[in-house]
Amino acid sequence: MEISPKFTARHLDFYYEDFKALDDISITININEVTALIGPSGCGKSTFLRCLNRMNDLISGTRVEGDVRLDGEDIYEKKIDVVSLRRRVGMVFQKPNPFPKTIFENVAYGLRVNGIKDKKVLKDRVEKALKQSALWDEVKDRINDSALGLSGGQQQRLCIARALAVEPDVLLMDEPASSLDPIATQKIEDLIHELKKNFTIIIVTHSMQQAARVSDITAFFYMGKLIETGDTETIFTRPSLKQTEDYITGRFG
Amino acid sequence: MERNFIKELDDLKMTLLNMAALTHRAFGKATQAYLKRDETLARTVIAGDREINNLELKIDQIVLKLLALEQPMARDLRFILGATKISKELERIADQAVNIAERSLFLCQHPPLAHLPAMEQLIEVTDAMLDAAITSFVEDDTQKAIKLRQMDDIADKHTLEVLQALINNMVKSTPGAEKRILNTQRSIQTIIISRCLERVGDLATNIGEHVAFIVEAINIKHQKIDFE
Repeated sequence: MEISPKFTARHLDFYYEDFKALDDISITININEVTALIGPSGCGKSTFLRCLNRMNDLISGTRVEGDVRLDGEDIYEKKIDVVSLRRRVGMVFQKPNPFPKTIFENVAYGLRVNGIKDKKVLKDRVEKALKQSALWDEVKDRINDSALGLSGGQQQRLCIARALAVEPDVLLMDEPASSLDPIATQKIEDLIHELKKNFTIIIVTHSMQQAARVSDITAFFYMGKLIETGDTETIFTRPSLKQTEDYITGRFG
Repeated sequence: MERNFIKELDDLKMTLLNMAALTHRAFGKATQAYLKRDETLARTVIAGDREINNLELKIDQIVLKLLALEQPMARDLRFILGATKISKELERIADQAVNIAERSLFLCQHPPLAHLPAMEQLIEVTDAMLDAAITSFVEDDTQKAIKLRQMDDIADKHTLEVLQALINNMVKSTPGAEKRILNTQRSIQTIIISRCLERVGDLATNIGEHVAFIVEAINIKHQKIDFE
């Protein structure tokens, strides 16, 4: 069976003022696969992730050259509605960032922003998202309590639920477990395995073991360049380039 | 500052090289004990086996620790897995050396059999194989490792020649029942030695396969190799 691409980047360059943070990145990201972006700090992996839903637009003095396509459509074209793009390409950040609202309102937030007012629809979509993020059983009896009362791991799964509620195609995760303990991390990783059945996931991680555990494809970035991409098993057992081997075996970075 | 992990990998490699050197020496002594009918040498092989066994245990310990604490990747992971496999092969080779030494002790008690050129050739080729296996590991030389397969065919050929010569020796008419029994006993003990040597050739070939896995990430086990 042929795997269809979700995202394609071709000759992508990205600048912060004069600094070239991404240099000629070409990569294909397949549908319903987990792609891990690895590399040392400052290598460009998070910058690349943010290019995929135009989060970098929010930073002044940045510039994009090249081509990024979602389902074949150029996301940097003028006619693209960025809000709609970000609905299709959701994002989860390093630190859980729930709003100081109830659990229900956190998850319903994106739906309300998108104009959904029907209480039944809101209730159903919130429940579905909380079930998808494996949080429902833990919060169903206190759905109207403050989200700030949840543990760090629960807060992060709430943020995932919030991203899922608007029914995106793609989930971008920027070190989603780096502030969590091992048990909460494992829950997030198990969740990623479940979610990839329905979503395309791109995850930035500093943990090599996490990349090895959760991803199908691994892409190694170094100094703004994409050095090597391959299926995760190959990258972690027999990478083709010495630079990749040196990084994943901890010889540098 | 060098990472502790790198030091521990070096320690693993040194321990394995030490085990390889002791095993090669034990094998050399065992074959010399047979050729020169040297009981003292045979006894040193038997006595020295414990040290090699202990090194195998030490390697298992280091490997377990590295896997549990360092989560090695890529070449490091292949090296660590390869090291456990190579140490198992070395331990078995050392056991074969002990077996050769024990048979040689028996043969030393009795008059020698007729000269067996195939046996000398078999010893020569298996010793060269063990040497090539260890060198391929030290030098990361996959080509040398792969060539062990060819050498193994030669070892197998000489093993058959020894077997044939000793079968001939056993079936030929020897006057007197007591002499006939002794002749058969010495022949069978010598055949067992030739089987041990043949096994050492197989185990050295396995080491070559592990070296190819460590260096090139290729698995040449159970695969036909075109030597052209």
